[in-house]
Amino acid sequence: MSDLSREALLAIVRDVWEKNDPVPEHLVTAMQATAAMAASDLDVELMELVERSTELAGVRGSTAYTLRFVHGDTDLLLRVAVDGARSRVDGWIVPPEPMTVRAIAGSEPASHGAVVSDSGRFELTDLPLGMLRLRIEPHDTSRPAFATPTFEI
Amino acid sequence: MTRIGAGPPYDSARPGAVWSQATDGFNRWVAGDPAGLDDLVSVMTPVLWHVVRAYRLSEQAAEDVIQTTWLALVRRRAAIVDPVAVGGWLTTTARREAWRVSSAGSSRATPVDDEDLAPMLPRQRSAEESVLQEDEGNRIWAAVDGLPERCRRLLRIVAFENRPDYRELATELGMPVGSIGPTRGRCLAKLRVALMQAGGV
Repeated sequence: MSDLSREALLAIVRDVWEKNDPVPEHLVTAMQATAAMAASDLDVELMELVERSTELAGVRGSTAYTLRFVHGDTDLLLRVAVDGARSRVDGWIVPPEPMTVRAIAGSEPASHGAVVSDSGRFELTDLPLGMLRLRIEPHDTSRPAFATPTFEI
Repeated sequence: MTRIGAGPPYDSARPGAVWSQATDGFNRWVAGDPAGLDDLVSVMTPVLWHVVRAYRLSEQAAEDVIQTTWLALVRRRAAIVDPVAVGGWLTTTARREAWRVSSAGSSRATPVDDEDLAPMLPRQRSAEESVLQEDEGNRIWAAVDGLPERCRRLLRIVAFENRPDYRELATELGMPVGSIGPTRGRCLAKLRVALMQAGGV
């Protein structure tokens, strides 16, 4: 055993990490969805995730977390909450401007839309669980649409 | 044992196959076949997982880094002129992002401790599973897990990456560039001794 080659040792290292810190089961599927959606609309500009926090709301076992995305001068803050078999997104766009926000779910063909209020707020309710992304369309058509990366509810 | 369900599993015996599969997927995607991108993601995501997790990121932070890496690939596809380089481009991009996130501290990426989240995780892994493994597997794992942190990280990255960039690795590990090769040799020697002492293999 003392003459284990470098390749044999590295194979052992690969093997133990694959067993003891395996790839999460959902990860490949989730990344395929992320990449495919990003590739399918290269004309839509992507927002960048800059912050993510998890808060553990104890009531009824529901979970909520917040996400913050930026694109240019636009800031998008989301509170994503699970409630039973459905979920909702409460959003805030800064600075506020007339926009339509659509939730595109991986599991349902129908999209859910909302228009941003004068104060920049919007809400999307009765969303399915699973992979989701938001597409934001300024009413000023001279501006391009933009979209968040995929996130999971 | 939790195994990924989609795509070909990482082949420990023939790690070189991963890189040619990645190139093949990339080529088909560039040619207009969306399934090529699926295959590229399927074959490279497990490699990215192990490289990124070597930086002691939480599972969530590691997943965010990997997502950022795939988005970077889609947006900057034009930057990959040589399709053979796509695997290395992905691991390098992921390592840079993992290094950036781990250096920035846990405040941004993971405001909640893993400990607090652990009860919510749908799966039980690592320690619990290793208990169920056969004794030899435990002893080999203990030998790898018991290596000094620098060796653990370096060997995990070297084992899963094709040809890691020694210059960047040196910066991340706080070592002179020229000492990476000798350090890798010393880490492998430590592992060899630990395996002998464990009576494994």
